[in-house]
Amino acid sequence: MTILYKDPAKVSGGAARLLRYLGMPIFLGFACLALYLYIGSKDLDSIERRSINANVITARLIEHIQLAAVSTVIVVVLAVGVGILLTRPFARRVTTPIVGIANIGQAIPSIGLLAILAVVWAGGFWPAVVALVAYSFLSILRNTMVGLQQVDSSTIEAARGMGMTKRAVLFRIEMPLAVPIILAGIRTALIINVGTATLTTFTGAGTLGELINNALRLGREDTVLVVGSGLTAILALFIDWLASVAEDVLRPKGL
Amino acid sequence: MTDRAAEENTQNAETMIRLENLSKVFPAQDEAAVDDLSMEIYEGEIVVLVGPSGCGKTTTMKMINRIIEPTSGRIFLQGEDVTKVNPDNLRRRIGYVIQQIGLFPHMTIADNIATVPRMLGWDTKRTSDRIDELLETVGIDLSYRDRYPKELSGGQRQRIGVARAMAADPPVLLMDEPFGAIDPITRDRLQDEFLRLQQEIRKTIVFVTHDIDEAIKMGDRIAILKQQSKIAQYDTPESILTDPADEFVQNFIGSGPSIKRLSLSRISDIETADWPVARLTDSQDEARNKMQSSGKGYVLLLDDEDRPRRWVGTEDIKHDGVSLEEVGRPAVAIVEADSNLYDTLDTMITSYKGSAIIVDEGGRYQGVVDFTTVLEAINTMRPHEQDRHMSPPEQEQPHERTERDPQAGGEGDDDPV
Repeated sequence: MTILYKDPAKVSGGAARLLRYLGMPIFLGFACLALYLYIGSKDLDSIERRSINANVITARLIEHIQLAAVSTVIVVVLAVGVGILLTRPFARRVTTPIVGIANIGQAIPSIGLLAILAVVWAGGFWPAVVALVAYSFLSILRNTMVGLQQVDSSTIEAARGMGMTKRAVLFRIEMPLAVPIILAGIRTALIINVGTATLTTFTGAGTLGELINNALRLGREDTVLVVGSGLTAILALFIDWLASVAEDVLRPKGL
Repeated sequence: MTDRAAEENTQNAETMIRLENLSKVFPAQDEAAVDDLSMEIYEGEIVVLVGPSGCGKTTTMKMINRIIEPTSGRIFLQGEDVTKVNPDNLRRRIGYVIQQIGLFPHMTIADNIATVPRMLGWDTKRTSDRIDELLETVGIDLSYRDRYPKELSGGQRQRIGVARAMAADPPVLLMDEPFGAIDPITRDRLQDEFLRLQQEIRKTIVFVTHDIDEAIKMGDRIAILKQQSKIAQYDTPESILTDPADEFVQNFIGSGPSIKRLSLSRISDIETADWPVARLTDSQDEARNKMQSSGKGYVLLLDDEDRPRRWVGTEDIKHDGVSLEEVGRPAVAIVEADSNLYDTLDTMITSYKGSAIIVDEGGRYQGVVDFTTVLEAINTMRPHEQDRHMSPPEQEQPHERTERDPQAGGEGDDDPV
């Protein structure tokens, strides 16, 4: 009975899901191929060859991914942690000022923040990480807080009423129920970080932004710029896709 | 914890919960929500806290498991002062059911029920067996174990809520308007089921509602609370209905206390009349003889399994050669023996001439009850009511009006259909 009832939905849901999971990587694969064929058809001069070769592109790509990954891990730990603290009853008074500060982080143009950090501190990888963390902090913080606040108060009351400790309520009830919304925030932060990472080239962090910057300075828009911006877009879409898969996998069943 | 509970149970079988001078003042409020409340709740009884909104009944209940910490006063559970013990440990000894139920949506039904047993460190086997046992108790199919709450209907969720509260077999259950968010028909059924269940489990239950009818139905004793949880009356439903302590209680009970009292008596408590019966397969002569020998104008036909099927009167079998199965009228107005008098009376009124057929749980014929019989039962309740200082003159009492009905009931002797 149940099998009969469930099967059709499962089959169609499964097929749609498979299409959604595979559609984007296939599309991105074709985009890479198109980029490759396009550059292959061009007669590259020595300046272009210095930017567009496997070694340089791989190095820039790795710099880019490292920067985005490290800053995202740090911002997830910080913003989710602060989000949890701010939703505890004892933090009610400091919630507004801290969300205000996080707002400033996002309101300052990222390029300005990078420049300030380069002036008062240094250029390179870690100042770039700090800038990205500050810039993407709010999206995770806000989603963590909203995610925790939207958990039905009666669910929490029932848990407390059965003798769950506050810690158990947080980790076994509130966090799992907030996971979908927190993940959406993390996804946004990831995309912000992948995009903003291109700007850190101005403070010496390399990344795919360097290709773009070089192309503009050297007037190689139709080759180097296409590769740099094309790869940045493909990387951003790929990471967004990874995040969407993670959202589906990590979402608790039953919601 | 449970062993200790059981031990104390035997030592102090009388009082399960004692509240002593309990008060609660919420921050930033001038008036106390609960002011100096003392009450005792005995083992195995359902005590209903009932009162108008904002009277402090929910606050009072939530202070028992210290979801709300009392400002002053003391709480005793099984003779032990639990006012200052670790609240989490205390709550694992007390089942808790709230109106919204609060099932954990991301956990399966089995995991929901297993919450407290797991906290108490039960092993997997014991927990799993207990889940099966509870699902059976509350009448949910075992195939639901691995489903999620969103797949359940409101009534099913409510049952799982009760099962979860009883998981570690706590001696006390706190229930905050547990049937409040459920449609009236399901609510009625769940109430009946719960009362039946309580016959077996004999828990001490503190039940909060704003609905006096629910309180009358569910409570062994009812505490009617005024503002600040001041007890207006704390007594059995019968005493509260027949002898309200003051005008507040009288107003709160509302109209028709005598009618409401009927819901507290069951048909099995009163004497029922015999009626001539025949079988569907009997001949007309047999039916006619039975009618004549009993002096009644109608005979009730039963099928092979003793279930009432048709009423057949003298007129219906004037002509020979008709099978009994095809004449007369279908037997309606059938009530079960454990129905209360209120429902029975209601059924009688909707029947043609005012009588109801009583059957057992299997639907087998037990007897017939009519207005006269119910009226006699009401009369036996009446002496108490005459003492009531606020009782209106006899003529205007609701049951006096029903006294005119026996005329109908009298005729009903000959034409009960």
